[in-house]
Amino acid sequence: PAGPGGVAVPRAGLKKLALPPDYSGITFPEKPKLKFMDKVPAVPKVRREPRRLRDIRGPSQVATDFTQGQYGILALGGGYLHWGHFEMIRLTIGRSIDPKSMFAVWRVPAPYKSVTRKSLGHRMGGGKGPIDHYVTAVKSGRLVVEVGGRCEFEEVRPFLARVAQKLPFPAVPVSRESLREMRREEEQKRLDNQNPWTFERVVASNMLGMRKYLSPYDLQLKGRYWGKFFLKHRV
Amino acid sequence: WLPALQLLRHASKAVTRHWKAMNFQRQKLLAVTEYLAPRPAVPPRCLPRPTAQGHQEDGHAAVLRRQVQETLRGSRMVAVCQYNSMPDEDVVTLRHYLRKHDIHVKFVLNEIVRPVLAQSKYRNLLPLFVCRNILLVSPETRAREMLRVLKGVPQVNLLGACIDDTILSRQGVENFARLPPLEVSQGQTVAALSLLSSQTCSLLQRGPAHLTALLDQHIRQLQDVAGPTEPPPG
Repeated sequence: PAGPGGVAVPRAGLKKLALPPDYSGITFPEKPKLKFMDKVPAVPKVRREPRRLRDIRGPSQVATDFTQGQYGILALGGGYLHWGHFEMIRLTIGRSIDPKSMFAVWRVPAPYKSVTRKSLGHRMGGGKGPIDHYVTAVKSGRLVVEVGGRCEFEEVRPFLARVAQKLPFPAVPVSRESLREMRREEEQKRLDNQNPWTFERVVASNMLGMRKYLSPYDLQLKGRYWGKFFLKHRV
Repeated sequence: WLPALQLLRHASKAVTRHWKAMNFQRQKLLAVTEYLAPRPAVPPRCLPRPTAQGHQEDGHAAVLRRQVQETLRGSRMVAVCQYNSMPDEDVVTLRHYLRKHDIHVKFVLNEIVRPVLAQSKYRNLLPLFVCRNILLVSPETRAREMLRVLKGVPQVNLLGACIDDTILSRQGVENFARLPPLEVSQGQTVAALSLLSSQTCSLLQRGPAHLTALLDQHIRQLQDVAGPTEPPPG
């Protein structure tokens, strides 16, 4: 507001008293901190299993939505989490949350898949190596941990971002609203795409014989996934 | 449907840790099927700005607005003064002195008063409500006492007033204060109006009164003439 000499006149307005956030519908689990995950499952595997990299490929069908908490870490790519990652997550989140007012919950199981390694410096051959360690497979679109309680997203986001950066796949901290917003924007992008040619359409009707150069999985993956990577910019 | 086995013989697996090189045909297909954003006929920056929607009505602001409306309705004199920061005890003293003359001191916020004034009949008082200000409201019009009190307080300056639906500037208020009180002026008006009617009686009696005076004068003259010639009786 300009005063008589053209100088801005400072003024104090009415204080808008905002109500404090309502945390009534939140149920705390028995143990607010993250459970300790074993390096090796209780019954270690006897038989060495094949590599089966398809458990990394494509979108996740499990643990895509929130159950108990309000904020979490969303995986935007596929990868394997081993015991070191689990410890990092458990300790960082345990250090950053206040157990009296916040809680955290795992959304991935303990390492179950055995990974073999041959000893270093030997030639190829001689059979499959022994079991080295165990990992958990994570597909893109899956929640890794959930955090909830009497807290706001702005308080939780810094340490969740630090954890997400250290994971072997790209990940972002999300809240319920931000995840909903992400899904809504994706859907809107898909609907108002001005390009009449979409990957899905080309692959489904095998235009120009494109399926010679594509995989049969591309019918489901629809050009948004390549190997373990999730192509966020593609519609 | 299986791809030809020759393609996979010397290639890496489908899922790799590194970014696997894509077939050129696949790259071309991805380039063709990229997302194209919709372009509206009128760019959004040429359209008028959307005003803030969902402006929640603040209950506190509504209460203050209602209070201001009631004070404006129930007072004959409303004086707007500029207020510079005063010590608290001086504010209390000022309030006390003005209260003795039945003048109430009200602190108002411009952002609440401005919409109230714009809708009421006091539209022309809007330019006065800039900077920190206070309202002196009173059901009676005692401008002289108010000016006397305000003269002793240098931090409060009178900007303007609205007395009996008449907007007065600072000069106007001073002139108004110098006017005689209502009863005296009423008496003066009555006297001025009844001046002519009071003169009617003397006007009517002026002819015979003049004749009476002339006759009296004549008798005196006759008596003066006859007095020295006639001997006093007895």
